[in-house]
Amino acid sequence: MQKRIQLSIGLLSISIIAFQLILMQILSIVQWYHFAYMVISVALLGFGTAGTFLSIFKKKLLSAIDVILPILMITSGLAMTLVIRISQTEFIRFDSYLTFADLSQIWKLLLTYLLYIFPFFLSALAIGITFVKYPHSIGKLYFYNLSGSAFGGIVAIGLIWRFLPHEIPAIISIIPLVAGLIIISKKIIYLFFVAVITVIIIVVNIFQQNQLVLSEFKSLTKTLNLPEAEIKLSKNSPYGFMQFVTSPALRYAPGLSLNFTGPITASDAVFSNGDWYAPIIHGNLKNKTFILDYTTISLPYYTGEKERVLILESKTGYRVFHALTKGAKNVVAVEPNSLIISLLKNELAGKTDSLFFNPKVSIKNIDSRTFLMTDTLEYDLITLPIIGSFGGSSGLYALQEEYNLTVDAFRQIWNKLSSNGLFSVTCWMDQPYRNPLKILSTIVETLNQEGIENPVSYIAAVRSWGTITFIVKKSPLLINELNRIRQFCKTMFFDPALLPDIVKQERTNFNKLQNEEFFQYIDEILKNSRAKFYTDYAFKIEPATDNRPYFSQFLKFRSLPKLSEQFGNYTAPYFEIGYIVLILTFFQIIIASFLLIIVPLFKTGWRSSNKLWTFTYFSGIGMGYMFVEIVFIQRFILYFGNSIYSVAAVISSMLICSGAGSYFSSFLKAKRGITFFIFGTIVALILIYSVILFPVLKLTISFPFIMKLLIAILIISPLAFLMGIPFPAGINLLVKKSEDEIPWAWGINGCFSVVSTVSATIIGIEFGFTSVILLASLAYCLPLFANLRIKK
Amino acid sequence: MFSIIIALVLFRILQPQEDPYYNQRLQMVQHQIENRGIKDSSTLKAMRNVKRHLFVPKGSIKYAYDDRPLPIGYGQTISQPYCVAYMTEILKPGTDHKVLEIGTGSGYQAAVLAEIVDSMFTIEIIEELGKSAKKRLKNLEYNNVQVKIEDGYYGWEAHAPFDAIVVTAASEYIPPTLIKQLKDGGRMVIPIGSPFMVQTLMLVEKKGDKITTTSLIPVRFVSFTRSK
Repeated sequence: MQKRIQLSIGLLSISIIAFQLILMQILSIVQWYHFAYMVISVALLGFGTAGTFLSIFKKKLLSAIDVILPILMITSGLAMTLVIRISQTEFIRFDSYLTFADLSQIWKLLLTYLLYIFPFFLSALAIGITFVKYPHSIGKLYFYNLSGSAFGGIVAIGLIWRFLPHEIPAIISIIPLVAGLIIISKKIIYLFFVAVITVIIIVVNIFQQNQLVLSEFKSLTKTLNLPEAEIKLSKNSPYGFMQFVTSPALRYAPGLSLNFTGPITASDAVFSNGDWYAPIIHGNLKNKTFILDYTTISLPYYTGEKERVLILESKTGYRVFHALTKGAKNVVAVEPNSLIISLLKNELAGKTDSLFFNPKVSIKNIDSRTFLMTDTLEYDLITLPIIGSFGGSSGLYALQEEYNLTVDAFRQIWNKLSSNGLFSVTCWMDQPYRNPLKILSTIVETLNQEGIENPVSYIAAVRSWGTITFIVKKSPLLINELNRIRQFCKTMFFDPALLPDIVKQERTNFNKLQNEEFFQYIDEILKNSRAKFYTDYAFKIEPATDNRPYFSQFLKFRSLPKLSEQFGNYTAPYFEIGYIVLILTFFQIIIASFLLIIVPLFKTGWRSSNKLWTFTYFSGIGMGYMFVEIVFIQRFILYFGNSIYSVAAVISSMLICSGAGSYFSSFLKAKRGITFFIFGTIVALILIYSVILFPVLKLTISFPFIMKLLIAILIISPLAFLMGIPFPAGINLLVKKSEDEIPWAWGINGCFSVVSTVSATIIGIEFGFTSVILLASLAYCLPLFANLRIKK
Repeated sequence: MFSIIIALVLFRILQPQEDPYYNQRLQMVQHQIENRGIKDSSTLKAMRNVKRHLFVPKGSIKYAYDDRPLPIGYGQTISQPYCVAYMTEILKPGTDHKVLEIGTGSGYQAAVLAEIVDSMFTIEIIEELGKSAKKRLKNLEYNNVQVKIEDGYYGWEAHAPFDAIVVTAASEYIPPTLIKQLKDGGRMVIPIGSPFMVQTLMLVEKKGDKITTTSLIPVRFVSFTRSK
């Protein structure tokens, strides 16, 4: 029986991770990904809730384990297949964008939380019961739990490639159903009826799927409101749920010159997870005029011919198209999203004049940073996609790592330029000013680090009514180039914002600002005293780095009262909604965790010699493990150049190695010396990694993928193996000291895992990921000190 | 006795209905609009006259006079009262003016302008919004407003040129057709910002062949560097 239970725990763990990943994708589609983060984080407290529930009802649950365990597994499958469907009903469906504008949405949000907690609670309770029932086999059970979780990530990726998002939950729900079926005792026949009913519901759900209902504020929903708008193609992948939409009213001309008098032809568009991704511009390469010629994006082409062009994040290829129309002889398009490349080479090839088959175009399906580190050629022009969105993105991307917009990335770009080459970056003018100032600060810092003492000779910026484009040249800008830029501005009704010989009056010839502040800020950034300006400015505009790769995180908490005062309480949150939601999530989790940890104490009593030890030990290993995992994920995203696969590789290898560590722990004797050795080695390894990890990854980043994977496993495995030991070792200790505390300990571990996941992101944003890894070592010191206090 | 009841009923029916939101509207104009520097008397009068609560969804009526935008469905909002007033003032609408609006939404901005100008033309691309706005404006007897459900990109050629154009649903580009349909010396105003944070307005002016823009910020907007 125990073998079957171990197998069923493995299956259940597969389904939990797979369900969690698909739930995150679905919530990113119907809402935005930071709300997905929020809901999932809270839902994961289902683990903490299960621990609390188990602490209170332990005896009753264990006395009927033969019935309860399969029922929990089967019903968790049922919950997985039903919660998405229920959350999409009119009564519960909430719109996260309205949270700060319509308070009634809060109730819907709460109902959504409760709903999503269900499958996690039921599954976690099933796992928790086995831990409590079979504490002597904890090493093996934990091994199946961790290995199953590792495999769950791989299963989710496979399903995401094969099925559409709304189809997947019902498919995943089969796994816990099977897990429940294999442990049903033949004596309890009626359980088979429960299973049959579940099978029927799952089958009905598989064959009767409802389309997902997206927030009315998502760009896809707004586009579908346009006349004759139609989704022509939908394909799912770990890069996102890509949808190709057509409408005669869809047009792409960002910040178009007011001197343009022709028609703007309709373009189709691709959306990713319901958000705008890129336009598909219908064109013919024989035409030498292109709509982007009338935008500031065209600025670099006006400084002279660009034969070799590198397009980073080429997306649907509209900038590739532009480069070709401007006479580029060789265009390298770098795009990590293999699905969009496949679409453009197959289904959408006819729409783009077979752009990606053009002999002048070379497609690289790789991350931009990895490409920059491995490629050996030099380019006359390197371009990045437009940053931000029209009218501001409301801080929706604040939590997203943007490795292409760090000083480290700009330095790599700079070093790929030919002697007269330049790179260009465009963004929307936002209000209050954030994006353009941060781009400039990143450029200035880059040039400073490259030993350029007078950056202003190398930079030009041109502003339209809506966009601003910066160009940075490898050598100082020449007089004839400056003349061409001025002529470009005059023709297009644009204004130079920054030139080496800029005159104050020419900055607002066509596009006036209400005051001169924007230009004062630009000038401040160019001064050596810019650090003071960064401190004084209401938003974070100092450059992002690889250690803190959050370009779009502008929020300074001290500015919130000022924003509220100036824009009103309803408006202020929308400036930096992503980060504010993260902070709200953090406080919700802290409160929920506190309650979940305190409540069992009313049942089990507050006083016992072990309570403090249990709390310190299990909170420490919960925090430490997740801090290390988050840092590894963050570091390896850049290393592998593909966030999806690197997350899968890191999580899977960590969990498998920890599972092996857990299995190994069954053979360890609970001696104080061994425990100290394990924790001491973990702390030492973390400290060593904090110093050597980044340089080692930087040194080997140009290696082939397989080699990098091996290096990653070599780095991760020793630490992950050791980190797999403390949890079962701790439970074994509790078996001897106070077995009643096992569910409480498990709950604490769960709660602190969630708390540390959210806090690691906040700490990473505020202080950088080096701080997170140092905190991980401190967290592992907690159980070390706790063990010093424990009585022999 | 019977005649007394009839008289009471008649009295009640014939008695002009009180506008329960009248005071709220006056307060809105005073606190949110006048106090923030809107001085144009015709704009203030229009803002006092137009019953904003009739332009918001039923569930939002209690918030109709709050100092904020409100959702009206289809991912659209009715702008913050101050924004509407500011946009109206910036357009410098005259009693003999012909004004075009792109993005009717609820019809509120059109109603405010219709209180001032001679003729108001408004285009809405979302059929459901356009139909309900058309019905609402008709019921409220704004007879100088014409509503068309179409893609605003093409403007309204038949009634061009316009003294002023207001683009309430801004997009990433300003359609060249709208520039063409603007009179020489005409003014166009466009709000820029995602829903619930419409704060920046852009004024487009056409003078001969030269077209200029001015970014305007309709809030007390002081330097964003920390006060020393």
